[in-house]
Amino acid sequence: MSPTLQSLPFFQDSYELRIAQLQEERKRGIKVIGTFCLYVPDEIIFASGADRIVLCGGRADTIPVAEQSLPRNICPLIKSSFGAVIDACCGGSLACPHIPLIDVVVAEATCDGKKKMYELLTDYLPTYVLDLPQKPGSPEAREYFLSEIRKFARFMEQLTGNIITDEALRREIRSSNATKRLLHRLFALRKSDPSPIRGSEVLRVMQKQFFLSPDMFRKGISLLCDELEHVVSSGNTGPRIMISGCPMAAGNTKVPDIIEQKGGVIVVEESCTGTRSFLDLVDEDVDPWKALAERYLEIPCACMTPNDQRIARIVELAKEYNVRGVVYYTLQFCHAYNIERLRVQKALKKEGIPLLAIESDYGESDTEQIGIRVEAFLEMIA
Amino acid sequence: MISAGIDAGAATTKGVLFRDNTIMGYRIADTGFNFLTASETIFSILLESYSIRREEIGHVYATGYGRSSISFADKSVSEITAHAKGVSFLFPGVQGIIDVGGQDSKVIVVENGRVVDFLMNDKCAAGTGKFLEYTAKALEVPISDLGELARVSDHRAAITSMCTVFAESEVISLRARGFLKEDIAAGLIRSIAQRVAVMAKRMGLKENIAFVGGVAKNAGMRAALEKELGVPLYVPFEPQITGALGAAIAAQG
Repeated sequence: MSPTLQSLPFFQDSYELRIAQLQEERKRGIKVIGTFCLYVPDEIIFASGADRIVLCGGRADTIPVAEQSLPRNICPLIKSSFGAVIDACCGGSLACPHIPLIDVVVAEATCDGKKKMYELLTDYLPTYVLDLPQKPGSPEAREYFLSEIRKFARFMEQLTGNIITDEALRREIRSSNATKRLLHRLFALRKSDPSPIRGSEVLRVMQKQFFLSPDMFRKGISLLCDELEHVVSSGNTGPRIMISGCPMAAGNTKVPDIIEQKGGVIVVEESCTGTRSFLDLVDEDVDPWKALAERYLEIPCACMTPNDQRIARIVELAKEYNVRGVVYYTLQFCHAYNIERLRVQKALKKEGIPLLAIESDYGESDTEQIGIRVEAFLEMIA
Repeated sequence: MISAGIDAGAATTKGVLFRDNTIMGYRIADTGFNFLTASETIFSILLESYSIRREEIGHVYATGYGRSSISFADKSVSEITAHAKGVSFLFPGVQGIIDVGGQDSKVIVVENGRVVDFLMNDKCAAGTGKFLEYTAKALEVPISDLGELARVSDHRAAITSMCTVFAESEVISLRARGFLKEDIAAGLIRSIAQRVAVMAKRMGLKENIAFVGGVAKNAGMRAALEKELGVPLYVPFEPQITGALGAAIAAQG
């Protein structure tokens, strides 16, 4: 039986506090930005005096509403997010409670599905799109992205009426680095064998990273880390597993739940709701704008090409966390992550690390089939 | 010691008794609605047929889709592990297994009896026994005749749809266009063989491949798959029991 962690309820309890906080901020004229992706620099939003909240949908129930407008065969995260927005704007009951708190959506040109969905979103909410170079390795790409984030900063200045000073930006960089360092501490604790915390518990915490205010989130992570220093084991003793792939937005914990139910121990997630959000810090010693451009283009998302750094990182993480196998998770119809799987699989095979690929949506219909695969995979690597 | 393996499959339930490194006997029956009832029935029929008392059985292991419902089993193993054990017992040195069952199809890579990799079809009936069952119905032939019928075809019809429901309407439209029954049957067999062969090639299977599961009983299907893969396939005397056999072997401890 797994021990009950005292610090976890903090994250659940903070939900209502956060909603109240945002409502109160809006009354005071503070702008609230809705985001969908790690590529949108929080630091710029906060430096302009605005606040932010993540809007990625992980719930299945808003998908039918979205399918009135969107094709059925696109990823569930896009459909779920869009469904929550249009339902909120039409006064529906499935709406994400975050939507009415938003002044502007700051979107990003990542995958095709999201880009085109954002075009439809403009009918419901003011939407600003941050462009991204898709071949991020060159100096020209960094130069271009730098101009894009400066443009975004001007947009934020106009929206809030505040000037973003270098000093404010530096302060926010230090703040977000502090959060990232705490997450380094949390994940380092998971390297011990047995791991002191279940992967599904960490995922539920990580899903709140861009929902809570940075102060609140850091407080929770500190409490959690302090507590985990004294925990020996989460109670699970099965093979150590890494999850790698698509983000699991709040509401979506299907695959980790199945893995744990079958006895697997998830010790690290290479995803937007895992290492991708915090592994790289922003350089505090150079020009803050250039440092931001550099750091954000290093995010190893499958929408970038070539994405060699992601492949290398997965192999590195698998060794660092001493995993027996990797569960490669893709949201259904997410072509970028789905196609990139083969390169990941080949790289892991060279190291003798087996991979199980699971592609799934937010429905429950494949729970049993995923269960069989996971069970067989765990038997295979045990 | 005698051990038993029960494979509670979606369509059929299989039971095997195993002793002294040999198969004592086996039974196969339709699963019906209740996995547990079907398994209990198979188990008591086995005991009765071979005049064995329950106490003489050491361990009972369950596998298959309904494995967790089999409350009288001591333990359950996944079908992947079970098939690998069962097939490796029948064909030592086998390197790959293709299992086409009623609800799913899978390809297993085996090394010295151990699973090293596997692939299952996506959540869809394409490439499974269900595909044949539905489309055979649309063709108005018993599923068991489909393979033989396909063999006499000279002009195979092209079935382009992977989706079972769409393939069913495709069959009806081919009928309406005057295609011969055997040509449509050949098209259907080819369609599923191609689908399964892609999975096998994806897993890198080359030779020493066994073909099991209910669909392996279909000689036309076996011939089509051998043609797609370019190698002869090992088919056990009873291709449906390899999962239950593997479970019984695992239960030997």
